[in-house]
Amino acid sequence: MLAISTRPAASRLLSKAQRFISTNHGEYDAVIVGGGPAGLALASALGSKKELQNSLKIALVEAGDLSKVRDWSPQAGTFSNRVVSLTNASQAFLKDIGSWGHVEQERTAPIQEMQVWDGVSDARITFSASELGVPTPDQGMARLTETLNLQRGLLRHLQSIPDVHVLDKSKVQSITVDETPGSWPLVHLDTGRVLKARLLIGADGLNSPVRSFAKISTYGWSYDTQAIVCTMVHSPRGAFLGPNTTAYQRFLPTGPIAFLPISDTASSLVWSTKPALATALKGCEPSVLARMINAAFRLPEISMRYLHDRILEAHEAGKPITDEEIKAEILWREQSHSIDQTSAYSSITIDSNSGIPPLDAEMVPPVVSSIQPGTIASFPLRYNHAETYTGEGQGSRTVLVGDAAHTIHPLAGQGLNLGLGDVECLSRCIHGTVLRGGDIGSYTALLPYTQERYLENHKIMSACDKLHKIYHTSSGPLVQLRSVGLEVLNEFDSIKAAIMMSAGSVSKTNRVLSYNGDVRAAMFDMAAKGVENIGKAAGVAQVVRGGLAGIAVNALQNLAKAAPAAAASSQGSSQGK
Amino acid sequence: MFPTRLLRSSTVNASEIAHFSRLSAEWWNERGEFSFLHKMNPIRMQFIRQKLIETAYDEQPEEAVNPRKVGILQGLDVLDVGCGGGLLSETLARLGARTTGIDASESNIAIAQHHASLDSRLTDNLSYKHTSAESLLTQSKRFDVVCSMEVLEHVDNPVMFLKTCSELLKPAGHLFLSTISRTPLSYFLTIFMAEKVLRQVADGTHTYSKYINPSELLQFFQTYHSQVPSSESTANQSRPWITRLYNGEPTRTEAEVRGMIYNPFSASWILAPRGAWGAAECNYIFWVRKPALDGISS
Ligand SMILES: Cc1cc2nc3c(=O)[nH]c(=O)nc-3n(C[C@H](O)[C@H](O)[C@H](O)COP(=O)(O)OP(=O)(O)OC[C@H]3O[C@@H](n4cnc5c(N)ncnc54)[C@H](O)[C@@H]3O)c2cc1C
Repeated sequence: MLAISTRPAASRLLSKAQRFISTNHGEYDAVIVGGGPAGLALASALGSKKELQNSLKIALVEAGDLSKVRDWSPQAGTFSNRVVSLTNASQAFLKDIGSWGHVEQERTAPIQEMQVWDGVSDARITFSASELGVPTPDQGMARLTETLNLQRGLLRHLQSIPDVHVLDKSKVQSITVDETPGSWPLVHLDTGRVLKARLLIGADGLNSPVRSFAKISTYGWSYDTQAIVCTMVHSPRGAFLGPNTTAYQRFLPTGPIAFLPISDTASSLVWSTKPALATALKGCEPSVLARMINAAFRLPEISMRYLHDRILEAHEAGKPITDEEIKAEILWREQSHSIDQTSAYSSITIDSNSGIPPLDAEMVPPVVSSIQPGTIASFPLRYNHAETYTGEGQGSRTVLVGDAAHTIHPLAGQGLNLGLGDVECLSRCIHGTVLRGGDIGSYTALLPYTQERYLENHKIMSACDKLHKIYHTSSGPLVQLRSVGLEVLNEFDSIKAAIMMSAGSVSKTNRVLSYNGDVRAAMFDMAAKGVENIGKAAGVAQVVRGGLAGIAVNALQNLAKAAPAAAASSQGSSQGK
Repeated sequence: MFPTRLLRSSTVNASEIAHFSRLSAEWWNERGEFSFLHKMNPIRMQFIRQKLIETAYDEQPEEAVNPRKVGILQGLDVLDVGCGGGLLSETLARLGARTTGIDASESNIAIAQHHASLDSRLTDNLSYKHTSAESLLTQSKRFDVVCSMEVLEHVDNPVMFLKTCSELLKPAGHLFLSTISRTPLSYFLTIFMAEKVLRQVADGTHTYSKYINPSELLQFFQTYHSQVPSSESTANQSRPWITRLYNGEPTRTEAEVRGMIYNPFSASWILAPRGAWGAAECNYIFWVRKPALDGISS
């Protein structure tokens, strides 16, 4: 029996070289590019696991200045224009990792009810938290939160986690990888620093540099739509109407307009519309936008078309429409549609919501009285889905989360929720891998992440895309169907489904490693079901066995080819490890 | 095997490194021929973790055990017999074990060393040796945990191999084996049984069929006694590693068999629950514990 202990000089030297390199670079187990909500949540999730301390060295890189987020202190009663609705699942996850407590709760608001209707047929659905089976009705079906409030909370949480190095004002300039197979990616920052990453996470948004480095292509299109956002100011709802906790969304042929309540007297707008119209609206005085918002929730579609045309014409003529002009136009429209001046559908004459509200008051959002200064902005909308979430070959050891992996139309308020779903799943995968001694950058470790998230995201993304397409038209057979209202109700069911899919509050974080027999048994059951589908377990066993034996033989042959004597190994040599 | 010139030479040229890397890429190509094994490794490790935590709970006050600790193998000497490209060894080392990977193939060792050198977290407690388990027996070092994954079905003399692995353990040490079952009616059964009953192994003259069933491993350890210091009489040995079976199953503290099932739909392996016997029809992982010193009756 041979008993030689050889340390090949080659690898000895290599490891020396490696060590040299690693003293030159900051070496990290996880380098997260992007300090948006997804990146910050991932850093918090990974950092918050006490047992992972010393096992994970984490860096978060952000081009922008995060002190602006950390020190953000808005005046009471004013709200940032970037607001997201967080599902209960997202909130449960943020609670689990200990970040939610750092989010200023007084600045968030629950959505108790949602009213969605078609601008052409007026077909409408209403659904409420209690209907969705939310465990505690108070929490609502989702919670509106300013993105900055969330980001600031996550940053505050990160301040208590020394394992996470936050490097802001550091833009990723390039990402490279050495020739040697298996080498780790090197992230070059504009500050001159170079970070070496066991796992490189792209949380770097729509134009993800990490995704480009990993040569992951994307599938998608631009919607030819801009989303106008702003913070709307209005009177509180009267005592008879209860608090401002109903979200409204109307589907106009130009795109949906959404009213998202954030406090008793403020709500957030997401108005998806044609880019030219968005530009024209943004070019008017803010009060014109306020009047148009009110009209867009109330006037028949034909009048909206007319008003849009007026605004566009005026804009093209270089003379933006004035507040007086638009007021007159809307008033005339209301009168010609015989809208009763005491009805909630009249936005011009009703200035306050005091006294007994009109009977139809719950059908429309409160009348917007003004726009919070400086909050009007717009964003182009895209559908974008990466072809995969993990890189291969030269791009190995990379993974995408959040908008870097997918962007969708905001009509179901799911964008960031999908991103947080990614973060929850990826952190669970990483945690499980660390507990099993695995390499978190390996393809095998990341595979369950892609498997779990890709389809899940795809389902919701395509539901939202389909909805956008059905409503983004005012001619053709779809509209005929719509005017009858049938098709609409079916489609609204899928909005509801899209919202409900993630409305639950079940947290998955405790699934990491199951010492618990029930969970194991459940997993076994799942596997067994899969197995049943293709016949008897024995049949599968045969396939697997054949597969394994085949692997061993093939591997041996390959090794034999590469190094002829290798195959002549004697007892104790593993032929398949 | 690599030419010894390369192994001894002090200057390294790029093409030789590239050669190493290509081989390494073979073992470590997770989407290549070894992908099954890459995917199987996490559940092997899950089992190892579970058994170590379970025994810790049996032996220590509950509050002293932290089941979520990463370094569950911290401070333990662990041997990986037939380490191949180092798949299991690396994961053992990451859980804190002072890990020694051995393999009879010199090129496997070179590949494993090269791959480990890419990960600075592995430099301190992972070493590889081109040697056999048998030759380690001649040295005094013994281990807290001995693992040998997907090796048993490839060795020429399983009984000898099992004995060697067993003797490399410290008292109360853990032996983990994973392998593939053979159909029960194979003629090999009788040969194996004969070998086991005789407990005398002819040196390598027989060629045995590759696969060994869980029941055979259980039976082997039911009659297997640790070697005791020479002063003791051979007739008065320690207790067998497995004292008895209940309905064919060992007690949880002595041994355990768990099936590993491949789910083709999720392309992943699942560790079957204890007692799911049908599950061990094909791939399975086996754990047995060497009796502690006080288990030796005098
Ligand atoms: C109008 C609108 C309404 C929306 N409403 C909702 C809603 O109600 N609910 C919901 O869930 N979602 C909503 N979304 C979607 C949500 O805003 C996004 O999904 C979310 O902000 C994405 O977060 P992220 O962290 O993945 O990416 P981002 O927020 O885009 O963060 C990416 C970060 O990466 C940084 N970065 C990029 N390149 C580099 C580089 N080279 N070096 C260093 N740093 C870099 C950027 O500076 C940025 O901070 C809405 C979106 C829009 C446009």
